[in-house]
Amino acid sequence: MVGPVQFYFEDVVLHGVLDTPAMTITEAHVSLVPALLPLCLTPGLGWRVNQPPLAVQAFMGFEWEVLHPVRVGDTIHSRSRTAVKRSMREGGVIIEERQVINQHGEVVQKGRFTFLVAKRPTA
Amino acid sequence: MNGPARRWFEEIEVGEAYESPGRTVTEADIVLFAGLSGDYNILHTDAEFMKASIFGERIAHGLLGLAIQSGLFTRAGIPYATLGAGTLRWKFKGPIKIGDTIRVRAKVAAKKATDKPDRGVVTVERQVLNQRDEVVQEGETDLVVERRPAG
Repeated sequence: MVGPVQFYFEDVVLHGVLDTPAMTITEAHVSLVPALLPLCLTPGLGWRVNQPPLAVQAFMGFEWEVLHPVRVGDTIHSRSRTAVKRSMREGGVIIEERQVINQHGEVVQKGRFTFLVAKRPTA
Repeated sequence: MNGPARRWFEEIEVGEAYESPGRTVTEADIVLFAGLSGDYNILHTDAEFMKASIFGERIAHGLLGLAIQSGLFTRAGIPYATLGAGTLRWKFKGPIKIGDTIRVRAKVAAKKATDKPDRGVVTVERQVLNQRDEVVQEGETDLVVERRPAG
């Protein structure tokens, strides 16, 4: 059986940078705590890059800084850079540095995400 | 005029502790959060694939748990006069599954002044517990809270 196409631990390029497409924040979005909204939107933006989704087994944690407000009408995108790639017996740890950037090019939020990522299954 | 009750920076004391009501996380919560965030990861959306995973079923997005605890925290006492979140340090310790009931236990760990005279930063330690009292998420948030207006 062929499973979903995923980007496995081995596929991740250390220091590789990915820019997502952008999204305009609308009034309809603001049903979450506004400061947490851009943070919550970054994983979804990550799905729109020209690369299969990371084979995340578990989201282990994150650190995050809110630097500037994001308002309705702003258009944000996300940039991530693989800062750490640590292989383990089963899977590996990937730490991504992630920024949320607005339409003026300002970094409005930033932080680090730590994921446990699957290795490619052996056939 | 008195607005809704809110607590100023001066009124919050280090060591204060709170526990929120519980909230059951539903399948609808996960589907709606996938739609809002655009995160359709198979962990949250593919029931068949997840049967064979270490979790045995779909799990909630970690950031959905974070968002829910943020709301539960505001129900754990009189809300702070919060201007916004500053920084977060957060660990996901275990899965939140459909039907789990989570609550937040929180404690004021520190307070500090900022370079702006109208506000301060309150550091809150938080644990998200499920119905079996297992800690599924934990971390610290630095909240920017207004000081009582002069006069």
